[in-house]
Amino acid sequence: MWRLNAVRHKAGRQGSDLEEFKFKRREHEKELRRARKDSQLVSKRLLLNDDEEEDGTMDTLASDQVVELFNMVRHGRDLVKKEADLRALRKALRSPSAHLILIKQPNSIAILVTNLCGPNPQCRLEAARCLHELSHSPHSEVDSLRLRQATPYLITFLSGQSPKFTELCLYTLGNMCPDSENVRDMLLAQGIIPALNNCIQIHRTNLAVVEAVGFTLSQLISANYVTGTIIPAVLASGLIPRLLSVLTPDSQFGLGPVIECAWCLHYLACSNVDNGALVAQGTLLHCTSLLVTLGVAVAKGSIEEGIELLIWPLLRCVGNLLLSGPLGALQPQLNDSRLLAALCAFPQAFLQTHPALARESIWVLNNLTAAADSSVFCSALFYLNLVPALIQLLPFSHGINIMVLRVLGNIAHQGREYCLHLAQAGLLPALCATLKMADTEVVTFSLEVLGQLMASDPQLAEEFVRQSGLPMLEAIQYSNQETIRLRATHLLEHHLPPHCTVDTSASQ
Amino acid sequence: MLQPELIQLLTASDLVDLRIDAIPKLQVGFRPGCFFSSSGSQDGEAKLTFIPQQILLNKDHELFEDGDIHRHLYLQNLSTCPAYDSPTARQCEFRCYISGCSQVFSTVEDYEHHYNTLHRHVCSSCQRSLPSARLLDIHIQEWHDSLFSILAERQDMYQCLVEGCGSKFRTRDQRKDHMIKIHKYPSDFMFDKVKRIKNIKIAKKNMLQKGTSMEVSMSVSEPEGVCEVLSDQPEEEEYMEINHSLEPGILDPPSNPINTVELSTDHDTAPILSVTIQPTTNQQRPQHNRERHSYRVPRTVCFGQGSVQGFRGHGRRI
Repeated sequence: MWRLNAVRHKAGRQGSDLEEFKFKRREHEKELRRARKDSQLVSKRLLLNDDEEEDGTMDTLASDQVVELFNMVRHGRDLVKKEADLRALRKALRSPSAHLILIKQPNSIAILVTNLCGPNPQCRLEAARCLHELSHSPHSEVDSLRLRQATPYLITFLSGQSPKFTELCLYTLGNMCPDSENVRDMLLAQGIIPALNNCIQIHRTNLAVVEAVGFTLSQLISANYVTGTIIPAVLASGLIPRLLSVLTPDSQFGLGPVIECAWCLHYLACSNVDNGALVAQGTLLHCTSLLVTLGVAVAKGSIEEGIELLIWPLLRCVGNLLLSGPLGALQPQLNDSRLLAALCAFPQAFLQTHPALARESIWVLNNLTAAADSSVFCSALFYLNLVPALIQLLPFSHGINIMVLRVLGNIAHQGREYCLHLAQAGLLPALCATLKMADTEVVTFSLEVLGQLMASDPQLAEEFVRQSGLPMLEAIQYSNQETIRLRATHLLEHHLPPHCTVDTSASQ
Repeated sequence: MLQPELIQLLTASDLVDLRIDAIPKLQVGFRPGCFFSSSGSQDGEAKLTFIPQQILLNKDHELFEDGDIHRHLYLQNLSTCPAYDSPTARQCEFRCYISGCSQVFSTVEDYEHHYNTLHRHVCSSCQRSLPSARLLDIHIQEWHDSLFSILAERQDMYQCLVEGCGSKFRTRDQRKDHMIKIHKYPSDFMFDKVKRIKNIKIAKKNMLQKGTSMEVSMSVSEPEGVCEVLSDQPEEEEYMEINHSLEPGILDPPSNPINTVELSTDHDTAPILSVTIQPTTNQQRPQHNRERHSYRVPRTVCFGQGSVQGFRGHGRRI
């Protein structure tokens, strides 16, 4: 069951026109890219409530109506009426303008918190919903600082038994995490991490709550400046095995929770605080197994919508964990040869839709083939006949061909046998084409790989000449880019058989 | 989408041994004495510098940008659109590397045609590109061999340009007549003197058009030198009248329409046109003396056109 649609953002789909929607989304995407460049990429999530599924109209109350509602909540004694008032208040808070009105009321948050802890479960729920709306506010005045009175209670309730309530508390906390370092320190001190650990244990069969835990944790650890205290605390908390147990490709469980947990693992791995600990707890094994499973699914053609959201963090996690120690030591966790096949399958499958994912997949291959003891993986690539699939990616830009050339260079560096096998797989004609490409970096890498091939065995140099590669090198000598000019000259002078002439007029 | 071999690999049955440590390992290492350039380079500098390197990417790395954006669009529920127009993989473009050329092509064939037309059989003295090795030889002999003009006074030195003919002549005109009469070449074939072209455009930005040739020649020994030579020269377009004098840098303003440009070489002897160019007695502009050549290239002839070398502005960038 795919929960993708259940959790909504307020921006939602207000525009009915598809073109309008696409335009808005493109604008939004540009904003996100700008935010990322400023290290300000932050998202919040808003839970829709059951009675708001057909959301479309928001009743915007006048300010005095909001105040009146709040006063009724504040002074009300009848719990049933209070519940109704709180519900009405919560609905009013759908409109962002009401947020400002509410927080201007004295002790507004305190009143909500009182109801949050009060005796009436429904009042608790509605109070939690009010706080959740506030946590998602677009107004900068309604920030985590203002809401901080609520956090110790929210955290305490994470160990409670009510899934719906717990989910609300989780998303509220998750929305508060990115706001500032102070907030995060406060949450840490108030014990959010053990609480999350408890929560995921108690509610491990409830996919909505597990997804919410994953989301909140990812918000906590993906913020800036978290490597000092937060990530070590997470690593020591016992959360990792619980996250890993979610990484099962059980279709009943849905992709939502798995996605969130995978992103958590990615943020932990790329922070590089203690990747050895991550590996020791089985992260690499679980992630690679899941990647293999996803590779099999891709091979069978059963690609679910949104699967790339899961593949992405897994690739990143594996890619970074490969640097956590000597590759030989990690090999037991990497022993399934289908991992290599999956890493070659993802680029083929996602080349047109998500080229960045293709590039990251090859990056993982780079990390597998670049280590000191990578020979087993390089050999495996030949044994499984995966090199032609890589060579076919060479025409593609977006950083893909450069990464492929790195992998091929890694393989060539292993030795003469590897170079010969590369040539057998058809690398030389492919290099003749990449040498002509517009991107200087591509040409530079191509010359490097070519140099390695020709240095390893004179047969390969002769083969290159037979493939009419010589004019290309000569042409590059006239380039105004020094890097490639020098390399081309070097190859011509040192690696080509002496009988090759450089004179173009005597050529074919 | 996915290749059959990959599908087969991934959907292999459980009976197949999938363990990596069961795969035979190829022998590592190079033959003794293998000249591995980055360590054994004789001129002391490592020219090839690639070393296998594992790459650690932190959360904010630019390589991760697209994936992060995709994740946040999903968090904000904006990713579930049927026609999500994410960036698609582009095929790399190809670029001509001859310095100063910089043209970009979308297919290898286009690039190769360009290269073969303009950069093959290039005369190293005047950077003209000739259509064949033989014509290049003739060109070099007739234009860049100082002994040639001396010998030509006493012997028949001008070869017929038709392969296999073998006839030689005392003057260029005689050769031209021979080719017209015997080999049925059109009289307006680009022997030595070309016709004036009416429309002359100067593209300041785009130097070369695909497949056409350029009436440009500069001599290039080093790019830096060329830069200096040409920095005050106007750019040249494909069909134009060129007045060339033996002294570099001298233009002939009265004979040029406003919109032609000229380039002169820094070679005293090198003319800037093709093999067959020579001043003829029946040229249209009698005011030129023997050393002044007026050359034009008909649009339809791709023969003996100069290639471009040196810094002449920039081609289309990618």
